[in-house]
Amino acid sequence: MSHILITGGRVIDPASSLDRVVDVALRNGLVAEIGTGLTRTPADRVIDAEGLLVAPGLIDPHVHLREPGQEHKETLGSGSQAAVAGGFTTVCCIPNTSPALDSPEMIGFVEHRARATAACRIFAVGSLTKGRKGEEPAEISLMARAGAVGFSDDGDGVASPAVMARVLAAVKATGLALMQHCQEPTLTRGASIHAGTIATRLGLTGWPRVAEELMIERDIRLNRAIGCRYHVQHISSEGSADLIRRARAAGQPVSAEASPHHLILTHEACDHYDTAAKMNPPLREQRDVDALRAAVADGTITVLATDHAPHTADEKALPFEEAPFGIIGLESALALYAEALVHSGAIDWPRLIALLTIEPARLCNLDRPSPHRPALGSLAPGGPADVTLIDPDARWIFSAEHIKGRSRNTPFLGRAMRSRAVLTIVGGTIAHQVQR
Amino acid sequence: MPVATTPPPATPAAPPPHKWSRRHLLGLDGLTAGEVRALLRAAAAYVPVATSTQTDTQELAGRTVATLFFEDSTRTRTSFTLAARRLGAGVVDLSSGASSVNKGESLLDTARTVEAMGVSGIVVRAKQAGAAELIARGVSCAVVNAGDGKHEHPTQGLLDLLTLAEAHGRQDALDLSGLTLVIVGDVVSSRVARSAIAGARLLGARVVCVGPPALAPASLAALGCEVSGDLDAVLPIADAVMMLRVQFERHEGSESLRSPSVPSPREFRTLFGLTRERADRMKPGAVVMHPGPMNRGLEIDGEVADGPRSVIRTQVSRGVAVRMAALRLCIG
Repeated sequence: MSHILITGGRVIDPASSLDRVVDVALRNGLVAEIGTGLTRTPADRVIDAEGLLVAPGLIDPHVHLREPGQEHKETLGSGSQAAVAGGFTTVCCIPNTSPALDSPEMIGFVEHRARATAACRIFAVGSLTKGRKGEEPAEISLMARAGAVGFSDDGDGVASPAVMARVLAAVKATGLALMQHCQEPTLTRGASIHAGTIATRLGLTGWPRVAEELMIERDIRLNRAIGCRYHVQHISSEGSADLIRRARAAGQPVSAEASPHHLILTHEACDHYDTAAKMNPPLREQRDVDALRAAVADGTITVLATDHAPHTADEKALPFEEAPFGIIGLESALALYAEALVHSGAIDWPRLIALLTIEPARLCNLDRPSPHRPALGSLAPGGPADVTLIDPDARWIFSAEHIKGRSRNTPFLGRAMRSRAVLTIVGGTIAHQVQR
Repeated sequence: MPVATTPPPATPAAPPPHKWSRRHLLGLDGLTAGEVRALLRAAAAYVPVATSTQTDTQELAGRTVATLFFEDSTRTRTSFTLAARRLGAGVVDLSSGASSVNKGESLLDTARTVEAMGVSGIVVRAKQAGAAELIARGVSCAVVNAGDGKHEHPTQGLLDLLTLAEAHGRQDALDLSGLTLVIVGDVVSSRVARSAIAGARLLGARVVCVGPPALAPASLAALGCEVSGDLDAVLPIADAVMMLRVQFERHEGSESLRSPSVPSPREFRTLFGLTRERADRMKPGAVVMHPGPMNRGLEIDGEVADGPRSVIRTQVSRGVAVRMAALRLCIG
């Protein structure tokens, strides 16, 4: 944990509306000073950040790290390597492990394993229901006390309205957010791809937009009398964005996230039964991609999340309908967000960095300190030295050598990228660096 | 109307007509009209051999074809087996009961194992859409799709096209423009329909799919066909009617809801069954097709299936010729 002086970079801290070329001094794992002409001490390692963006460490509130139960796909340790390679200093792992993260003991397991093996901060999202079965509420309050940063049965939505009403009330009592995977199950049985022309041509059962929209609409209505912070994970359709927009305009505590693949690709990527593009919710059509980008630009979507979902090559080599859903995302996310949102002109860098730092921090209550950790998501002096340096114009081809996690299931291999996280500092320690 | 069987050489890059250069036959969607015609011409030339009880050719003598059927089938497997033998090839059969798929081996591993034993072509039938393409990407021998889930069944589509062309005297030009093919029933689950639609469209026919919304949804228009819910309105324009079996086993989603896609056989038959009364209203020269197996009395009356409009037996006999053509052209 050396002393680090980052000089001459464009420092963007959306939490404090800072956007200036200044120096940042990190000492003893904390942000010591931000300003011009900072004194250099002999102990300092000086990093010339001219031409780079200096941001708070990026936060991903939605990753699948597969530990415990499927360590051959990913572990907290390998997933953290993928995270820091992509510029992320904090990730929140989703509880669809085996067994599920549905008890305070399991939340504690993640905290201990992460401390022992991870290169970044990892916090656990707890299950809403026992075993993620959608039947009985899990010990939501005890998990919150144990350090859970949100609740979700992701992989499945809570299908029963009665159970959903109970868990909304239970999560509300914790002050955390309920993160819902919106998929009405009876409309998607056997579905493996967007219900569109590709599904029709390939003879695959389609997953219609309405299955997502119906659950969002139901939840918003259920939650009106409850008032829980309700967050929709990985929204995929134009109609979903409209529902979120209207609920927010009506003052409801509703938020939503978008994933890189839904901001870039369409169901055309699944042609020829390409399982690398099989994900849930599925890739949809260009109008959905356009609508999601517009929803980020107008503030409807406030959080970006990779939904990093590692699977083995053998599993992805199965016939399309039998191959698992999901793609990895941590190593390629920043460049894809930049492509979809900044280079396209939809938003600017300060807003993108907000969507990747203070906004997800607020979603998971990480923006305030707790007994488990300091406040995260900003560059406040006295706060932890979690910093990501971004080269906004770096040109690179995404290839296997950039993948630091255990699995390689991504449709983006070989894609020409622009923008890259070149240095990732976690708690004052350099966790990843790209040689310039 | 003059019929152009040979497109003018518009660009130097244009593929030669009636030429087949592919290693695999995975589906009719994505082929050119010239490729479909190349297959049909080869098939037509094999019809005498295929329907004789005596003569065989020796064009694939010394080669071995493996029939890899992960899903039950008697007629298609038999048809491919006969086709291979008529070409002089040896045939090994691996149906799912005898193969190691039941021991958890993947489709691809089974196919690679068979290939490694020295076969020249694999004929594959599987319940998963895309299975044939998956195998074709993983082996170097020829792969012929004998039906993959709800996706395609290209040799069935070709025999339907050949039968249709012959019934309307189009076997020379292999041009179906001006003809209307009506496909009735469970189109959404039908790989036969997907192949027939793709092939018929390539050869210039109009295709109308008819059925209840659950079986013939409007989304089928993506295949280049029209969609209707009214058989009686469509029947008078049909030059050929292809009846499909309701595939209750492929409506998994609906079954799990305990509400079949068809409320009752009675309702289906009343609205969409090809009864004798309906067959009588078809226009002169219009033919009746069925890929089989038939549910007599449900989607088609026995009298119609065996009646003067029926070309169902011709379909079966053309199946062997089409499969000879597919094996010959792909194995080369």
